[in-house]
Amino acid sequence: MKNLWLRIWKGNPPGFSLLIISLTAAVLLAVPVLYVVFRSMTAGAERWMRLLDDRIPELLWNTISLTILVTIATIVIGVFLAWFVERTNVPLRNWWRWLMAVPLVIPPYIGAVAYIIIAGPRGTLARQWRDSEWLSQLGEFPLEIYSFTGVWFVLTLFTFPYVFLIASSSLRKISRSYEEVARSQGLSTSNIFYRVYLPFLRPAIGAGALLVSLYVITDFGAIAMLRYLTFTSAIYYNMGSYDNLSATVLSTVLFGITLLILWMNARFKSGRNVHQSTKGKATDQIVPLGKWRWPVFSVIMMIFTFAVMIPVGVMIYWSYIGLQAGALDAQFIEYAWNTFYVSGLAAVIAMAVALPIIYLKSRHPSVISSIIDKLSYSGYALPGVIVALGMIFVFNNYVPVLYNTVLLVALAFVIRFLPQVLQSGEASLQLVSPKMDEAARSLGSKPWQVATRVILPTILPGILAGGALVFVSAVKELPATLLLRPPGFETLATRIWVETSEDIYYMAAPAALLIILISIIPLRYLLKKY
Amino acid sequence: MLNRKWKYPVVFSSLLLVVAACGNDTEPEQNAEENGEEITTEAEDQELIVYSSRNENFTNNLLDKFEEDTGIEVLVSHLDETAVNLIKEEANNTQADIFISNEIGGLEHLRDEGLLQGYTPEGIETIDEDYRAEDNSWIGLSARTRVLMYNEDLIDESEVPTNIEALADEQYAEQFAITRGGNGSMIGHVAALRQEWGDEATLEWLNAIRDNAGIITSGHGDIRRAVGAGEVAFGLVNNYYYHQQIEEPVDNNVGVVYPDQADGEMGAVINAAGIGMISEAPNQESAEQFFEWIMIPENQQAFSYDSMEVPLNPEIEAYENAAPLDSYNIQDMPLRELGDMWEDTRELIEQSGLDLEIG
Repeated sequence: MKNLWLRIWKGNPPGFSLLIISLTAAVLLAVPVLYVVFRSMTAGAERWMRLLDDRIPELLWNTISLTILVTIATIVIGVFLAWFVERTNVPLRNWWRWLMAVPLVIPPYIGAVAYIIIAGPRGTLARQWRDSEWLSQLGEFPLEIYSFTGVWFVLTLFTFPYVFLIASSSLRKISRSYEEVARSQGLSTSNIFYRVYLPFLRPAIGAGALLVSLYVITDFGAIAMLRYLTFTSAIYYNMGSYDNLSATVLSTVLFGITLLILWMNARFKSGRNVHQSTKGKATDQIVPLGKWRWPVFSVIMMIFTFAVMIPVGVMIYWSYIGLQAGALDAQFIEYAWNTFYVSGLAAVIAMAVALPIIYLKSRHPSVISSIIDKLSYSGYALPGVIVALGMIFVFNNYVPVLYNTVLLVALAFVIRFLPQVLQSGEASLQLVSPKMDEAARSLGSKPWQVATRVILPTILPGILAGGALVFVSAVKELPATLLLRPPGFETLATRIWVETSEDIYYMAAPAALLIILISIIPLRYLLKKY
Repeated sequence: MLNRKWKYPVVFSSLLLVVAACGNDTEPEQNAEENGEEITTEAEDQELIVYSSRNENFTNNLLDKFEEDTGIEVLVSHLDETAVNLIKEEANNTQADIFISNEIGGLEHLRDEGLLQGYTPEGIETIDEDYRAEDNSWIGLSARTRVLMYNEDLIDESEVPTNIEALADEQYAEQFAITRGGNGSMIGHVAALRQEWGDEATLEWLNAIRDNAGIITSGHGDIRRAVGAGEVAFGLVNNYYYHQQIEEPVDNNVGVVYPDQADGEMGAVINAAGIGMISEAPNQESAEQFFEWIMIPENQQAFSYDSMEVPLNPEIEAYENAAPLDSYNIQDMPLRELGDMWEDTRELIEQSGLDLEIG
């Protein structure tokens, strides 16, 4: 028995308490979600059949068609932008490198608000149309933002930078010698792109596609605001009418789809590793665009206008109106404070929970620690609505004291965003050699002293960076906050939701602008990461 | 040994405790003290937890006034009619003290399920018995009538249907807006129609209007804005939305038709907004104080004023343009009968395929 235990841990078992803490944390993180799946099994065959018959096919079609079309669009935009910015002499190319990442700081639901304000049925453009003699002759206002196209447009605009960033970074790594060889063989520029770059870019495209498709499948805000129905919004509305069992059934199906995507990605990655020689110097030689230089520039400029200038401009304009109408009152400050408070709480808890898990994984690798690790990552690919549903179930029934408290909202954030601390913490712990632990141990330190005196100080910057990421993600979070907030507790995100549904844009805009400003913080980190 | 083993968990859990303690600061204190006498001295620590299914713009001033008058802090969850199901879901872990409802069916349904408690505040007799529960666990305070509001630029009053049944007529296809089936006022309306027409005819009508409606919105605010802006010619709303739209600085060229007014027709369908006291309210004392406070005439008026509804207490002056209840024919069905029909009606609507929720 003891031998088996030692063999599992490869001769290096962790302290009992460390193991228990990590295990408890990981299990607690996964419980709400597992409970949802479990409850769906008790929903009864009849409910399953009814949902499988009429609800699920429609939702599957809506969700999958949207995911696929957004993913394709982001790949096309992201890869072409990356290539033009990295490999051609398009004007301002050094600026575009980071400007094209900026749409990531605008949460898609805020982008959706901006486009509802402009192109909605009572928006600026529609009013101009109805007021103008000759335009209204042409018939009804033609843009329909509350539609598949509207959702597709908004989600594409605010997620393509994922593909762009990943593709750019792999383009920078590709040895130029391949291109030189191809060119010497007489291939044209577009041929080189398709036959040399595209194959090399395949893993990057795969990684970007995974990020985007997970994003689309789990997004709630933009989809619900644009009144489209996918699994996440259907789960939300089912919970709204407190048909929680149907919501668990839909959640289980959605969970399955997410797992399928992750599995497909793993297969894709393992099957198609592209090898390239690291030799061969990367030259700065870039492709001259000639007469295409300015046309390409205007296309890039147009994308930037739609993805950054228009939404930010709209929010600044309406914030200005709001400012004059007194939108920045005591209540606004209360909402902002609530937002920072609950997000800060989530960041602190996430950092505390991440420490033992990271330590265990890196210093005591084994089947058990990798299970703990996997469990802690489970929130990553989960939509906020499912996390919230699970927490309502578990806490209302078994831990009523915590039900309807701010802490519960923070815990939901921890479940969803813990992986961000885990990632950055792990990265910095890998830089600390285990030899340092051993040195400290040989000098008489106890394991917990090693952890607090040697390891903690060295990985603290990484952990804090992860905490900051959690904070920012929590500030932006909408669905779990909407579903879990206790009476009287509102955050900036929930106010944007409420005010937009009432067409009171000048009240929504200052909150949106503040969220955008806070989201700029991790932009540098994102740029460095890819 | 013990020390080494436990230091880590102690540090870790104390960290969590600190965090949890911070969390407790803003947590609603659910076990407020139940000392009947010391209301005024303890008012600062008292809370009232309100679930409201009304638009928050209709209740904010009212609840602020309550805070000012009594010093009791109001924590409100702005929900929609889902509040009814939430209260049922939390039956074993009661959270709310007071439910402010947009319609009577849900209140009576909750009472029927044993989730409301009777309480008789002073001045209860100012509200007609038809508009409150037998045990006064809920009290209706303001009335609303189902009307057709139209855009005067797009359609003439004579072209607006004069009865609700006509919405199923093909000639109005794509011309009007209705709310989703799960909207509280819609459920109440459909329940009244079931009473009048029977289930089969109602189901047929629901099927027809689902196809006929140009826009199906989540709430009525969207309908009044859509009609005002000319997205559709007319819409089925509660009458106060018409008054609200007239007062808008733009898009205010709207008119109203009270349906089913001719001899032999059913009369316009009415409903009421009101308050209910939740069983086992965590802040019982605050809940009772709220009931007493709301019966004061000026507060009854405040309840209906922001929404521009008509107070059910005839002594209280209505918002200036709101049409009094006795100025048109109304369907004669006691509102509390809506309670029995509440769940069945939702089922009937679901059967018709008019979505309870829209996404």
